[in-house]
Amino acid sequence: MSSNFEFIDIKRIEPETKSIKVRKIEFEEIYQTQNLESVKEQSSRCLDCGNPYCEWKCPLHNYIPDWLKLAQIGSIHEAADLCHETNSFPEICGRICPQEKLCEGACTLNTGYEAVTIGQIEKYITDKALSEGWKPKKLVESSTKKTVSIIGAGPAGLACAENLIRRGVKCIVYDRYSQIGGLLTYGIPEFKLEKNIVIKRREILEELGVEFVLNYEVDEKRMNEIEKNSDAIFLGLGTYESIKGNINGLSKDGVVEALPYLIKNTEYLMSEEDAENIDFRDKKVVVLGGGDTAMDCVRTAIRQQAKSVYCVYRRDKENMPGSVKEIKHAMEEGVEFLFNSQPLEIIGNGTVRQLKIGKTKLGKADGSGRRKPVLIKNSEKILDVDKLVIAFGYEADPQSFIAENNIKVSDRGLISLDNENYKYQTSNPKFFAGGDMIIGSSLAVHAIAHGRDAAKEIIKFLET
Amino acid sequence: MKGKIQIQDHDSCGTGVLFSKNNEFNHSVIKRALLSLSNMKHRGALSYDGVTTDGCGILLDIDRKFFQKKLLEEQNLILPNNFSIAVLMVQDNFDYKKKFSEICSKFDLKISAERELNVDRNLLGELAKKSCPRIIHAFISPKKNNDTENLEVSFFKIKKYLDNNFCAEKELYCVSFSAKTIVYKGLVHPDVFSSFYSDLADERHKSASSTFHIRFSTNTSPKWHLAQPYRLIAHNGEINTISGNRNWATARIQNFKSKHLGDLKDYYPLINQKGSDSSSLDNILELFTLGGINVGRAARMLIPPSWQNTDLMDADEKAFHEYNSMHMEAWDGPALICFQNNNYVSCFLDRNGLRPARIEYFDDNTICVSSEVGSNEMKGLKRIETGRLGPGGLILFDRNAKELLMNDQVDKKLSTSKPYREWLKENSKHLEANLHTYSGPEMREVSEKYFQQSCNSFLLNKEEMEMLRVYAMESNEPTGSMGDDTPISPISKKIRSLYDNCRQKFAQVTNPPIDSLREKSVMSLETCIGPELNIFEETSEHANRIVVNSPILSHKKFNLLLKNKKFPCKRFSLEYRESEGLEEAILRVLDDVVKSVKLGTNLVVLDEKQSSSKIPVIPALLATSALHNRLINENLRTKCNLIINTASARDNHQIACLIAFGATCVHPWLGLQAILKVSNNSMDLSSNELCVAYRKCLNKGLLKIMSKMGISNVSSYRGSGLFEVIGFSDEVNSLCFPKNDSLIKGESFEDLHKKNMLSISFDGSDDRVAKGLHKYKHNGEEHAFNPDVVMNLQNSLKSGSFKEFKNYSSYVNSRKPLAIRDYFELCSNNKPINLEEVEPIESILSRFDSAGMSLGSMSPHAHETLAAAMNGLGCRSNSGEGGEDPKRYGTNLESKIKQVASGRFGVTPHYLRNAEVLQIKIAQGAKPGEGGQLPGSKVDSYIAELRYSKPGITLISPPPHHDIYSIEDLAQLIYDLKQVNPKALVSVKLVSEPGVGIVAAGVVKANADFITISGHDGGTGASPISSIRHAGSPWETGMYETQNTLLQSNLRSYVRLQTDGGLKTAEDVIKAAVFGADSFGFGTAPMIAMGCKYLRICHLNNCATGVATQQLRIINDHFLGEVEKVQKFFEFTAHEVREKLAKLGLKSLEDAIGDTSLMILKKDYKDESVKLGFDRLLDRYRPNKKQSNELKKNLINNSLSDESLNNLITKKLKTNLAKGKGGSFNFEIKNTQRSVGARLAGDIAEKFGREGFPEKIILNFKGNAGQSFGCWNSKGVELKLNGLANDYVGKGMNGGKIVITKNKHLNQERPVLVGNTCLFGATGGEFYATGVAGERFAVRNSGAKAIIEGTGDHCCEYMTGGEVIVLGPVGNNFGAGMTGGFAYVFDQDRSFVDKCNKDLVSFNRITSQEMEAHRSYLKDRIAHFIKETNSNIGNEILEDFEKYQSLFWIVTPYAENLSRIIRKTREDAA
Repeated sequence: MSSNFEFIDIKRIEPETKSIKVRKIEFEEIYQTQNLESVKEQSSRCLDCGNPYCEWKCPLHNYIPDWLKLAQIGSIHEAADLCHETNSFPEICGRICPQEKLCEGACTLNTGYEAVTIGQIEKYITDKALSEGWKPKKLVESSTKKTVSIIGAGPAGLACAENLIRRGVKCIVYDRYSQIGGLLTYGIPEFKLEKNIVIKRREILEELGVEFVLNYEVDEKRMNEIEKNSDAIFLGLGTYESIKGNINGLSKDGVVEALPYLIKNTEYLMSEEDAENIDFRDKKVVVLGGGDTAMDCVRTAIRQQAKSVYCVYRRDKENMPGSVKEIKHAMEEGVEFLFNSQPLEIIGNGTVRQLKIGKTKLGKADGSGRRKPVLIKNSEKILDVDKLVIAFGYEADPQSFIAENNIKVSDRGLISLDNENYKYQTSNPKFFAGGDMIIGSSLAVHAIAHGRDAAKEIIKFLET
Repeated sequence: MKGKIQIQDHDSCGTGVLFSKNNEFNHSVIKRALLSLSNMKHRGALSYDGVTTDGCGILLDIDRKFFQKKLLEEQNLILPNNFSIAVLMVQDNFDYKKKFSEICSKFDLKISAERELNVDRNLLGELAKKSCPRIIHAFISPKKNNDTENLEVSFFKIKKYLDNNFCAEKELYCVSFSAKTIVYKGLVHPDVFSSFYSDLADERHKSASSTFHIRFSTNTSPKWHLAQPYRLIAHNGEINTISGNRNWATARIQNFKSKHLGDLKDYYPLINQKGSDSSSLDNILELFTLGGINVGRAARMLIPPSWQNTDLMDADEKAFHEYNSMHMEAWDGPALICFQNNNYVSCFLDRNGLRPARIEYFDDNTICVSSEVGSNEMKGLKRIETGRLGPGGLILFDRNAKELLMNDQVDKKLSTSKPYREWLKENSKHLEANLHTYSGPEMREVSEKYFQQSCNSFLLNKEEMEMLRVYAMESNEPTGSMGDDTPISPISKKIRSLYDNCRQKFAQVTNPPIDSLREKSVMSLETCIGPELNIFEETSEHANRIVVNSPILSHKKFNLLLKNKKFPCKRFSLEYRESEGLEEAILRVLDDVVKSVKLGTNLVVLDEKQSSSKIPVIPALLATSALHNRLINENLRTKCNLIINTASARDNHQIACLIAFGATCVHPWLGLQAILKVSNNSMDLSSNELCVAYRKCLNKGLLKIMSKMGISNVSSYRGSGLFEVIGFSDEVNSLCFPKNDSLIKGESFEDLHKKNMLSISFDGSDDRVAKGLHKYKHNGEEHAFNPDVVMNLQNSLKSGSFKEFKNYSSYVNSRKPLAIRDYFELCSNNKPINLEEVEPIESILSRFDSAGMSLGSMSPHAHETLAAAMNGLGCRSNSGEGGEDPKRYGTNLESKIKQVASGRFGVTPHYLRNAEVLQIKIAQGAKPGEGGQLPGSKVDSYIAELRYSKPGITLISPPPHHDIYSIEDLAQLIYDLKQVNPKALVSVKLVSEPGVGIVAAGVVKANADFITISGHDGGTGASPISSIRHAGSPWETGMYETQNTLLQSNLRSYVRLQTDGGLKTAEDVIKAAVFGADSFGFGTAPMIAMGCKYLRICHLNNCATGVATQQLRIINDHFLGEVEKVQKFFEFTAHEVREKLAKLGLKSLEDAIGDTSLMILKKDYKDESVKLGFDRLLDRYRPNKKQSNELKKNLINNSLSDESLNNLITKKLKTNLAKGKGGSFNFEIKNTQRSVGARLAGDIAEKFGREGFPEKIILNFKGNAGQSFGCWNSKGVELKLNGLANDYVGKGMNGGKIVITKNKHLNQERPVLVGNTCLFGATGGEFYATGVAGERFAVRNSGAKAIIEGTGDHCCEYMTGGEVIVLGPVGNNFGAGMTGGFAYVFDQDRSFVDKCNKDLVSFNRITSQEMEAHRSYLKDRIAHFIKETNSNIGNEILEDFEKYQSLFWIVTPYAENLSRIIRKTREDAA
């Protein structure tokens, strides 16, 4: 029997994290597994608001209060069903979403009571259900003989595939890597998202009937072929081009881009044999940038037993774009943060040796509403560096087949969706697109939302 | 005419009959009847001219000698002995003579003489004069010699012919036509009635009996022919079931076959379908009595007592009533009927005793039964006995035998006249009794796939599944809070259940809701199945019926019915081919059924089931209603019963719709399947138990919906169509809902068919289907207070910038249409003016009120923040119904509007005196027809203290105000309030629904200064969810109707109109003004300004924002409400109003009120608006002169206050009051002097505050007190009355003492001394009376101590404190809903056990050892009673207490503790 006051009487408790000592060496998720009792207790804190702000804020509009209620009474399989009504990969979102900026940030209780641990419960529900043999059901057996091809097995493509197949539409997913997941697999380190999670998803999708064609770089020619054999195509290729930043000396040895660093590390961890490794053991590492990728890099470096790890960021802590919990984890694990610090010059003869940084203060807000950092004169400082990681973010780099197929792109290289018939349809009616490649580098949850919605649009498109 | 509103008549009144026990003709019978009229004029109403009444009249025996003399005098004409008189009202230019003599000669009758009455029109008011007809007495004789009985039948047919062929208002109306009785009536002030009709002043004019009536009609323009009495009866009250009764009267027409009456075909309709409910009742009584039914049986058939749920009734009598119920549904509602014809005089009262009916026996052998005692008191006449009619009471005087029979005596006689019990035993079959013989299958679960498919096709979504789960698990509807902020279904862009198009009707003012929970003894769902037979015959065959205890069938009962051997049964599938189309399909089914019924099918089963996902199904709602109407038209309806095997109807609202539109029984198979699914997850309860619980919950819900209309019998609800049906095109309406007259139109058959096709092909996750109807869901139904709106508003107030606020308001104003107003935009031909030219912000703000939100539902902090904010701005805040801390009076934290609601929590003279506006809450937008609720968890000690209740006990306000069962009762309450606080304005809060305009007109005539029309979307702190969603209309239609009705009847300028319901922005304000509002109430918006986030958990007491909780740990740490933020909201809004006015070129908001030229339909939605019928909302009824918005002084009923004894008391006590000095004073009192003591209480409260008068004032009265004697009596004041009192004695008493002793001429033991609803809402004081009280004694008492010698039904209902000692018999349903205080009852005839409602109370003997303290306390109290009153009964009991003590019960609520009671009581006394 509920008392209606659980939200005060029970404190918000996140699952315990493993000891720092272990975390610093292991590429494994840092949270201990939760038990059902604590999940029940934590979900009972939900007020079941008439205006569920969590659901409203969530890009997928997950039925959060509803599945929290199910979790509270222990109906985990029903909860998993409900999670999957709005989300293709709830256990992944539960792990990697910046909840404090989305659902938990909007939670009514986040006004002094501390929000419900939505992410952790979401993760628990699906993990638990899957481990007990639960599987997402097909909504429609088979509705059409048509085939949809999906380019890119990242979150957008996979979500699109999941939605199509559960609604009875055949689909084939192409990807250049040997494992599905895109950045979920290669960009996000294991201590946030263990790879067996994605592998499990692959099994489920394949069982539902999704066909994967991997290690398959789609070029113009291959595209032609795919186009011929498909009734519609969904592009979810993401944005992989790193933003370089305006610093001298980027070409020196010892300067690496974030994504290749993370991907190579993951490949190495997945299979030591045929993967290249970038190892930072005993190195003095500096990471430039303040987003989630930067956090992934610093924390990876820690686990590689770097000698020291610095994070250099132009604004202050409050203005960091990265997830607050990730910053917290990084600090716990020993990363040193240099806030209000702007990299000015990479020093070294062929190989990076030092980084010159300058102090900044925050000026007036710019067009985007964020306050612009202004360099303080004569505040330069020198850092010793062995390895410098650039994690300023990514930008679009449209593949050649895009132009070839008359798909319009914007100045920023993003695919323009100006077709009014269907949402997510490109200027070439047969092509749909979603994820980072239409909005620029962003959260996985947005990509999933695009993929799901695009699937519904594609079905409508196929029906006519 | 544009904007002209169709008006239905409602009336309520004062009435009575005075007759001679010896059937002696005497002029004093007439004279005294006229005196009664004059002395009950406060029960009637006056129109705007201050003289025209709503009508009064009397019905007399024809004094043959008198008329012979008259004609000799007037025309020198000698009348033959054998004459009858037809009284005709003829409009000036209408040539009635030829037509009338033609129809008479058809019946071999001739007009022997005629006299046009020489009436004095100068005595009439302006309005009455305009429409005054010529009044003609036509003396009719047979051409040949005929016997009298047959003549009356001829007269009946002539009356029918005239009724059906001539317009009563414009041509001709036959007032009465009989050889024995005659009626004088009209729109004449009772004081001049006998001057107008000089016949009546003539002392030679005699009668043995006279029935009199004075009318208060909510009808706006009074009409001559609607004055009462009608031809046989006068009626005080309201027939709530009238629409169903009329339908069934039509349906039954072929069952009215009597050898006395002959062929009636040419005279259809026999029962009028328009006009007033009373006239229809008069019609059917005339039909029955002429057709050979004894008037006693006719009365019992039409207005039966509640026989279904009582254990006290004799078996023969029960059988008699059950037999009657098989052929006639009850005409239900508050009603006192006075009947008079040649052979009988009779009075009878409705089953719940909702109207006063006092009996007086005089020493001149006359008896008077009437609404009030003492109305025809004359010098020298002594009253020797008094009595009253109780619930279902009946008095029958056989004029020929000179035999007077009361209640049981009548029933005994009637019930043994035929072997009813035997007939029933042999022929009728109760379904449940035979359950064990059933061998059919249990309900089996359908396949998951079929279940899912059915859920999709019939729109059963997760939200509803959850609701059904609660139905089954808790056998109760789930509770919710806040309002329904979704669009009404015709506006919604989603596919919604068709039942959402039906909005529950509810009673307000003219006819009250009843409390189906606390007064369940009068409620019944019993349903008879089988064909009906001729009503005029009585045979055993008539008892051949199957009886079920509820129309909601279990699977077993459904199967039993299908397999029954008595009546042929046939199933009809509602599936149809896509190509056929919906309309064709419905017509096909109707034809099939009609054919089959003609061939003898009795049970028609409509199957709403789908065999495959491709096949569409006719919605059961449309099929049922269309079929019901078709069968009526074919005269087949009573030959068969409709049983609906439905998938679409699953909750109580949906099932109520089917029954109201004609279903006999309903088997909700998909609902039951859903419960089976629930049972799969339930460990504790079996599927059968859950199904039983589910149906129990549906039964409760059905009763609740019926009770909102004041209907207690499902048979009277069936086929009544008591829903406002919105959102259908005219073609759909004409086939399925032919009587529907909603302003909101909508979809055609084609549209419905398309939606039907869409819904059967859904996969369940489609966004086109509505979801999130209660709580917001993304891509679900739109919500007016969605997260964006809430966040935008809160953020803009946090920033404090007007620019951001405008972002909020333009976000709201540019939303997709969600309310009717969204289809309109403001426009003007005027040139914009400068902002400076517009009236200042203060004058806009003065029109803003906060809507009533009680302290209790809100935290004290929020309540005070709101009050402070409103006071600071010069706006008014509304206390809500939970009382207010006296500490706040006179400070900036006080609420200027103080609410008086049905629970009367904390309504003391002090409270009332500290208000600028007193608002009577008749209904609230969130749940009209139901009372407020405050969950026990929110009743902490502070709240309990203010509400005079116990912490932790849930407080539920009764659905009705127990002192308002009729419009004249509202007038009385308004009078009471104006007496206690003469400076306050009285406001009446109504909820929008069709007909609200007429109610509002009545309310104006009842002297209200303000009327609030609330929209259905108003909020609430706690309510069953189905109530939030399905009752009430948008304020736009209600305001349109009210504005037009008031204009039409010249009443608009006497009242200020307010609207509330979801107002959010300046644009809403101006649009509301254009619809007619003078002022504006805001509820939710200022709450959000205080931090409310629309969480809809107000009922749980865990509101995290601290607004709607009493938890200090939340409030102290998390309540962020600031006076400034609330003020910002109002200032910004007012400022924006000014900006918009400037743009419209208007200098003040006044100029916008009622000016529909300022609004046009939005272009983008024009087609849609026209389809929905919204274009008509811009029509205005305009009287010849321009409507002035200036408020006039209300002259209506003003004259009455001159008689106020209160004025005299005030004058006499002036010095004493000023000095705080006690004293003793003597007064005479009569029944016209009402609310005596209230003014004094108010004056004392003003001067001495809560503590009352410091010394003792004793006021001695002699005579008969008018209503509300001693209401709101104050500490320090003792009112002693020797005589009789009417209703509401000691209402709201806060302190002091009321002592009523019988007059020395009354020799009887236990005379009825006081009327109904005494001590209602009393918060303290003492009450003693040496006699018996009427119904509802000490209802909602929370502090008064009373001793009385007997009471009627429902004594101590909802009591939360105080003590009641009854030294005599009590009525049924004692202690219903009682949660505090205690009672001792002297149970001499040992019947109390059956009369006590045991839901919340227990009763114990006081003889045991441990009850010692109680015995001695009781003895002390009786001794005190004797000291105060010298009561004989008290003396007798006390003298032999040892003997009598074993006959006492102590009644205590479960919430109380016996020993604590006595300790506490002793402490209080000390």
